[in-house]
Amino acid sequence: MKTRARLPRLVACGATLTLALGLSACGDGNGGASSDDGKIHVLVYGDASNKVEKKIVDTFNKTSDVKVVLDTIPGADYQKKLQTIINTPQAPDVFFNWGGGSIKPFVKADLLMPLDDFIKKNPDLENKFLPSVFNNAVVDGKPYGIPMRGTQPVLLFHNKKVLDEAGVKPPKTWDELLDAVGKLKDAGVTPIALGGGDVWPTQMWFQYLFDRVAGPELFKKAVGGDKSAWESADSKKALNMIRELVDAGAFGKNYDSVKYTNGGSVALVASGKAGFELMGSWYYSQQLTDHKEFAEKGLGYTAFPAVEGGKGDPANVAGNTNNYYSVMKKTKHPEAVAEFLKLMYSDEFVKAQLDIGNLPTTTNTAEFIETSGTPEYSRFQYDLVADAPSFQLSWDQAYPQKASSDMHKAVQQFFNGQLDTDGFIKAMQALPTE
Amino acid sequence: MTTKTTSARPAAGPREESRRRPPASSATTVGRPGFAWALPAAVFFALFAIAPLIMVAVLSFMSWDGLGSPEFVGTDNWSRLMDDPVMLKSIWLTLLLTVLGVVVQTPLSIVLGVWAAGYQRNRAVLSVIYFIPLLLSATAVSVLWRALLDPNFGIPAEATWLFGDGNLFGEQATAIGVLAFVSTWQFTPFHTLIYQGAARAVPQVLYQAAEIDGAGRYRQFFHITLPQLRNSMITSMILMIVGGLTTFETVLILTQGGPGTDTTISAYYMYDKAFKGFDFGTGSAIALALVVAATVISLIVVRVSGYDKMRSSMEGVS
Repeated sequence: MKTRARLPRLVACGATLTLALGLSACGDGNGGASSDDGKIHVLVYGDASNKVEKKIVDTFNKTSDVKVVLDTIPGADYQKKLQTIINTPQAPDVFFNWGGGSIKPFVKADLLMPLDDFIKKNPDLENKFLPSVFNNAVVDGKPYGIPMRGTQPVLLFHNKKVLDEAGVKPPKTWDELLDAVGKLKDAGVTPIALGGGDVWPTQMWFQYLFDRVAGPELFKKAVGGDKSAWESADSKKALNMIRELVDAGAFGKNYDSVKYTNGGSVALVASGKAGFELMGSWYYSQQLTDHKEFAEKGLGYTAFPAVEGGKGDPANVAGNTNNYYSVMKKTKHPEAVAEFLKLMYSDEFVKAQLDIGNLPTTTNTAEFIETSGTPEYSRFQYDLVADAPSFQLSWDQAYPQKASSDMHKAVQQFFNGQLDTDGFIKAMQALPTE
Repeated sequence: MTTKTTSARPAAGPREESRRRPPASSATTVGRPGFAWALPAAVFFALFAIAPLIMVAVLSFMSWDGLGSPEFVGTDNWSRLMDDPVMLKSIWLTLLLTVLGVVVQTPLSIVLGVWAAGYQRNRAVLSVIYFIPLLLSATAVSVLWRALLDPNFGIPAEATWLFGDGNLFGEQATAIGVLAFVSTWQFTPFHTLIYQGAARAVPQVLYQAAEIDGAGRYRQFFHITLPQLRNSMITSMILMIVGGLTTFETVLILTQGGPGTDTTISAYYMYDKAFKGFDFGTGSAIALALVVAATVISLIVVRVSGYDKMRSSMEGVS
């Protein structure tokens, strides 16, 4: 009787123990920088561009003794996962990021390797990239990132037919834009499509207007910790201009219910229900996917209009400068990593990026631009970025990641009137800058 | 027989009885299985529920951004939360959505459940169709409704007489309405299922007796079905309340807590603080507050409703 009762107990205990061991074992299955397995782990944001990253890794592995392993994390979870593993043994050697504020906390936590030693040995690691792009991964005077995908400036797109019918020309100045808004409204269309439900499209209006009115210095001061910048006269002027645009009915009334990410605002422009949309350069390929005929025949694009009397150079651009590879301080194979980073300005890399519609920011990109699927569009962007005195990184990426949620709230609330100018200024001043 | 059993039993008075050790040996080995059988479940529960809960409790007194090592900050997180208007607002919004859920879903699912309890063929077919939302993930349901409610190309564009300019997600009242509607659409089938089962369990003799007494269908419903559904009602309501307090995906996908913070319920605020603001201390504090609140509310419901005593509603029937 007793032995029979004991047996299942033993089995149960054993089973539990095995399970528990199994669980703890899967914890360290993902070897990272500190578990030296003679490999370099490269962590990348998982999306369609991974094709190129895989190709480059294969090329590298053909000749190198130290092999590169490419790990990807599906897009939406990338930043959260990165933040939770970066200070653990699972951390990668090299990882994808957005430069600016996305790596600043890691630099402060002393996790990243400054790249000046690499650059001293091989100046091409800096010289081969457009300076306005390279500079966005410089923190406290030291470079921490090598551009590794394409640049995505924000452009003002329009529906050519809608503009023609309303007698509007693509605006070169702010006043022309306001004028166009009035005419489009009279013509019965929403002047500007806006995916306010995503909030970051709303923020694009802020980052361009602040740059045009005050120049890039105001934001640089603010993100550097000088919060008085938000109270300056220029800041208030830019905010008033945004208020004026919203109140003029430029975005219609239901923009907060529209999303870019589910194709809502994209369809508004393609179907002729709206005239303009301010969006990153990826907009073209989005229209190409969703509304092919319109993208090829009816979609126009210009730079953001100039603001008369503004301090910012009208040639400045804003948007996502590029993505970057940053290197962890504790990597065991710095030499191999330096060799790997060299591939980010190779001809093969540039061609592969152009093939999938990305626009790299290396100095040799210009030579291959005619091979891109849309040479005219690529040339326009490349010249815009290459000639830009300053490239304003998207605000939510220039600030530390942890500020982005509160920043988005402030942006949305200013647009819909829940916050007035002073309320918005206070909200921006409350954001953490480190 | 009787004499034999009585004689076999030791003549034990109350004194003897009390001296005996609690019935350990013979009674338990035959009746209930030992704790060992529950051990795997207990270990997993401890590992994945109790341990994280304790860690969250500890973390709520720390400051941690996920990078460095956590530092003890005493009650800083808690006192900041007490003064946080968004936190206060989020509690009200959570309660509002929970109450809305219970108030809207309960009558709907009772009516549907009782209707579906009939054995007619058309009812069976319609019930199956009606249960489909139950099979979809909350994420899929939310993505679906966000697209369906697009102001320019969705339902609001076709029914402007009802939706006006269609700015459903741009104003607080309508955004809350959408959230309540989508949860109702998704979860009513589940509660209908509970009521369907319960309604089928009501003994037919009660209806037969009522019919003899001349009670019509409505009287039968209010005087027999509803009282007999009492325990199911409490079960379903507790599930609704706990579900309402922990709603998250619907808000994450439909509104992201917006416009501004107008639909930021507590569970979403926790996520916002912990995984968007990387302030895991404050996030943990909100999480712990939610756990405590949900437990207290469930306990109150159980107590008030007499659910803990589990009285049979079949008294006098069999």
